[in-house]
Amino acid sequence: MEPLVSFEGVIKRYGDFVAVKKMDFTIRKGEFLAIMGSSGCGKTTTLRMLAGLDAPTEGVIRLSGQPIDHLPTWARDTPMVWQSLALFPFLNVRENVEFALKMRGMGRAARRQKAEHWLDRMQILEFADRNIAQLSGGQRQRVALARSLVVEPQILLLDEPLSALDAALKVRMQSVLKTLQRETGITFVYVTHSQSEAFSMADRVVIMSRGQIEQIGTPQEIYGTPRTRFVADFLGSSNIFTGTVRHSSAQGVEVETPDGPVTLTGGAFAAPPKAGETATLTVLDTKTQLGLVPPGGANAIRVRVIGEEFVGATATIYLETAQGREIRVQKSHDELAGLPLGIGQELFAHWSPTDSHLVAEA
Amino acid sequence: MRRMPSLYGLTFSLPLLAWQLLFFVFPLVFLVALSFWTVKNFTMQPGFDPVNWVTMFARPVFWQAYGTTLALATMAALVTSALALPCAYAVAFKLSPKGQRWAIFLMVIPFFTSYLVRVYSWQIFLSDAGIINVLLGRLGLGPFHLLNTVFATLVGYLTLCLPLVVLLQLFSLIFIDRTLIEAAHNLRCGRLRTVFEVVIPAGRVGLVIAALFAFILSFGDFVSPIYLGGGDPTTLSILITDTTKSGQQWPRAAVIALTMIATLMVVAFAAIRFAYKGRAK
Repeated sequence: MEPLVSFEGVIKRYGDFVAVKKMDFTIRKGEFLAIMGSSGCGKTTTLRMLAGLDAPTEGVIRLSGQPIDHLPTWARDTPMVWQSLALFPFLNVRENVEFALKMRGMGRAARRQKAEHWLDRMQILEFADRNIAQLSGGQRQRVALARSLVVEPQILLLDEPLSALDAALKVRMQSVLKTLQRETGITFVYVTHSQSEAFSMADRVVIMSRGQIEQIGTPQEIYGTPRTRFVADFLGSSNIFTGTVRHSSAQGVEVETPDGPVTLTGGAFAAPPKAGETATLTVLDTKTQLGLVPPGGANAIRVRVIGEEFVGATATIYLETAQGREIRVQKSHDELAGLPLGIGQELFAHWSPTDSHLVAEA
Repeated sequence: MRRMPSLYGLTFSLPLLAWQLLFFVFPLVFLVALSFWTVKNFTMQPGFDPVNWVTMFARPVFWQAYGTTLALATMAALVTSALALPCAYAVAFKLSPKGQRWAIFLMVIPFFTSYLVRVYSWQIFLSDAGIINVLLGRLGLGPFHLLNTVFATLVGYLTLCLPLVVLLQLFSLIFIDRTLIEAAHNLRCGRLRTVFEVVIPAGRVGLVIAALFAFILSFGDFVSPIYLGGGDPTTLSILITDTTKSGQQWPRAAVIALTMIATLMVVAFAAIRFAYKGRAK
């Protein structure tokens, strides 16, 4: 299937600073794509280039196969929802929503009807004649969405639109957005620094760091098998062990780390590392077990409890290796029953070699 | 419940209050009283006689001057605003912060020289044998009669108002949220249309206040209509000087002045109301 959007070797420089280094990726028609990364990683620049607000220094951006990077933003159909929302304060709710239709030369009656349809759909029709200043944060959010969606675009760009809302409202708006995307079939490109927003809404997630794509995949893929050390670190849901490769074959890898040897078996990896090289293995904190004695045939590392945290039914145990490195274990209360967890308690963190995962160093 | 103003508040507001009372309210009251005095044998007689109001309002020349002044000031406000806007827009949106500082500095410079000096130098440019006509003559054009026309008066008003209007407009445009402009572009509003659909509405308060200042300055100006317009057509400020010079008619001049003040108050009130119309309180 032909992708809706493709970035082909897109580079963006500001003087000497490279904001985006050689982006090559595609956006599928009808998907909810989240672009995630910490501030300054180039995620917003990527979105702005797609919207036509910034021009790429090199490369081509295609929408439905046609190159669009030479078109100004007003000649593209790539409406955006701003972090600040950028609602027009001198227009009321209805006029804000009608704005794009007016620019397209639609007649007054048709404009009004269409705007009311979207106001109704966003459940803000009763506020149609209010000023923007009279609305709450959540209501403004809905106006901003209606203003962009009223033209029924193929693609909607969202730049951290929920960041100004409080936690409860954020969760509610996430489900509004997800439902809206599924019902309309419009492709959503959602830029965020929040892992929970990206993973709860997106079909696929792009993780960016320092102007580059680190990994693209479904939330499950990225969570289960982070491709690079950066991704594993950024998600914070894996324990990471780096060391020198002792043995390596198509069946498995053994790495000597400062905390002891760690092995991986049965995992799928493209190219096994060579003996003597540096390699990093990760294991999810939910797949890491705790016990008083090390079981045979498993990776086991001697640790000491340094803290615990309870959120709902899950507990996060913070542990320290003999080398002073922190690792985490996530378990339900039942799984931990009977295990002494006082601060300073000596335990073994262990996991099956099949749960190990090899990540790229970069 | 009424709150007593605090001592701190009084300390800072009393001097202003006293100043306003002494130099604005008191003279205004005196001016109102003066307009009811009479003049006999070139000396003023205190009294309460509405004769000055009746006389002035019955004179066609007064209403003619009133209409002329109103039209000229309105024209000055509109022309100045229209000429200032592209300049303020360019400085606000196209210049770097450093360029903006220089532009603001350059626009303050005209205030260093007296308005009268600037008007006299316009005479040198505009007169029949002046610089403009000499230059045009070299091209085989003219001479054009420029001085002592309504055009010259407007040039004078522009000299008076343009730097101030550009600065006032600039300070309202500079604070417009840039994402509003990007959002308009993104919603298919082209560059020029964005100026009318977003920039002007978003900066409306400042733009209206700037035009109001141009109106107020031009409405009361005496220098340009006399030295560039040649006193024809007569404006209210010229009428005031004529009235005081002929027969010590200070009370009649007070009638003109009070009518001007009343007009400015109505215009200022209407302009500010229009500027804030539709805004949430």
